[in-house]
Amino acid sequence: MDKPKQEIVIASANAPELNSRRDFMKKTGAILGAAGIMSMVPMGTRSAAWAAGSDAPELKEVNVGFIPLTDCASVVLASVMKFDEKYGIKINVSKEASWAAVRDKMVNGELHAAHVLYGLVYGVHLGIGGQKKDMSVLMTLNNNGQAITLSNQLKDKGATTGATLKKLVDSEKRDYTFAQTFPTGTHAMWLYYWLASYDINPLSDVKTITVPPPQMVANMRIGNMDGFCVGEPWNNRAIYDKIGFTAATTQDIWKDHPEKVLGCTAEFAQKYPNTARALIMAVLEASKYIDDMANRRKVAEIIADKSYVNCPVDVIDQRLAGKYEDGLGKKWNDPNYMKFCNDGAVNFPYLSDGMWFLTQHKRWGLLKEDPDYLAVAKQINRIDLYKQAASQVKVAVPKDVMRTSKLIDGTVWDGKDPKKYAASFKVRA
Amino acid sequence: MKRILIIDDVRDRAAWLKASLELAEFDVVGILAWEQVDERSIQAASADVIIVDANAPGRDTLEQISLMSTTLEKPVVVLGAQKDQQSIQEAMRAGVSAYVSHAVQSEDLSGIINVAAARFLEHKRLRDELKEAKSQLVERKLVDRAKGILMADHGYSEPEAYKRMRNMAMSKGKRLSEIAEAIIFAKELSA
Repeated sequence: MDKPKQEIVIASANAPELNSRRDFMKKTGAILGAAGIMSMVPMGTRSAAWAAGSDAPELKEVNVGFIPLTDCASVVLASVMKFDEKYGIKINVSKEASWAAVRDKMVNGELHAAHVLYGLVYGVHLGIGGQKKDMSVLMTLNNNGQAITLSNQLKDKGATTGATLKKLVDSEKRDYTFAQTFPTGTHAMWLYYWLASYDINPLSDVKTITVPPPQMVANMRIGNMDGFCVGEPWNNRAIYDKIGFTAATTQDIWKDHPEKVLGCTAEFAQKYPNTARALIMAVLEASKYIDDMANRRKVAEIIADKSYVNCPVDVIDQRLAGKYEDGLGKKWNDPNYMKFCNDGAVNFPYLSDGMWFLTQHKRWGLLKEDPDYLAVAKQINRIDLYKQAASQVKVAVPKDVMRTSKLIDGTVWDGKDPKKYAASFKVRA
Repeated sequence: MKRILIIDDVRDRAAWLKASLELAEFDVVGILAWEQVDERSIQAASADVIIVDANAPGRDTLEQISLMSTTLEKPVVVLGAQKDQQSIQEAMRAGVSAYVSHAVQSEDLSGIINVAAARFLEHKRLRDELKEAKSQLVERKLVDRAKGILMADHGYSEPEAYKRMRNMAMSKGKRLSEIAEAIIFAKELSA
């Protein structure tokens, strides 16, 4: 019996993270009884045993909000492809009109969780802009796949890159207007970072406004803005509609940057841990499915529908498949296209990812004081729940809760000294 | 009298709301369509309360405007966000925005807006108090450091050092913390 005992030790190491010690005891009994067989079963399969029983989700139906963007795909597919049923829940996806509505509905409980901008979750947790509520990040939904579009009017003036844009802004004085999607969100941070890396201060050298993603293209068409940062398919749509071009992809700014997360209130994750785990597992399954490139055309067809992204399939499909053109005549296959799983490298809620948004909130004056960066990221990112879920659907979990990235301006972010990093930027609020 | 700005693309709804509010003796200073919303138009309306539809995509635009310009922070009453009364209460406790059901009776609006405005003011007051407390702490630290410099360099007693700084502040028409800062700078320069 020596060997099986050892196996039980492994199981009990996870036990405090389960909701009930009694459930664990019950399962331990089962494992003991079947010990001879169980010791021969691979670890992944064995740990699935505890999810099947009384770790059943507390809620049968989970309302998950999303905004019409290509990266809502994993949440939508978890429902459409019925990955949710496999884990004992039914995901009701709910298309929302604004990020403010996504936030409000999570806060008031109308939505249990949402496809949401990484930075927005952190902003709400810290009360930037008023409403303060403890929030959680259950997993990262995608890396890459956003872009900065400039208007064809700027192209006519010779501004096709960051450097030539800087020249134009300096030489031809007028109000330049750039749009992003939410003041604390990811697109605001990509846009600000990109402009600043070309020595354009996003807060004082140009005007920044917020426009909901599906309205970006229409707003550029009527001349309301010179550029915008938004998720796909709306950058590709601007090319398709011949009103703008892609000056930079966000993977140019930060290769494999974190983007949308599966967010919820801290209360939801605490009160319904089994439901949260089931939700993560269903979305992880969908993420794996989407990352099989053979499935991407089908994914584009599903999300192109009026109920979801509401955009022609071809406009979505191109960049989803990594086939880029910039609207200036350049075509390329981008190896850093929008990724949804990448064997878990995408989905792990790295603390360094979460902290990065705080450093930028501080940089741009959205936070007046340095927060306790690490403590906030630890409060928000539910690595415990994520790990349990990931191990069950056999998605690899990285060893380190931090990762190291080099951004477009050459600076390296490793999560080690956030305060110093936040203060290190020359162009700032 | 509360000055109210309505932002709504649905014209007859906005007109109904305006009529109801005026019946309750509120001053509706304007109705804007979402495409008209920018920093200038919000500023020009100089309203105390803004009422918007919860499902309007333009709400994010308003978020940016009010976040980036502290002078434009307004209570926003969001209409039609809620299913039931309890969640309205919860949402109100959460902070700036007040959330009101579509099924609301016009006579209820006045109370709701007052509540929204009061909640907002309370929130703002707490935030201002916190800011004030923090800046007081910083000032006190500066003064203490400057006192220490005077005591060490000139052999003043603590009350004497303080008195000299206060007299200087009064005669120069500066804040005590500014004098303290000058002393610290001068010390750093000579160090």
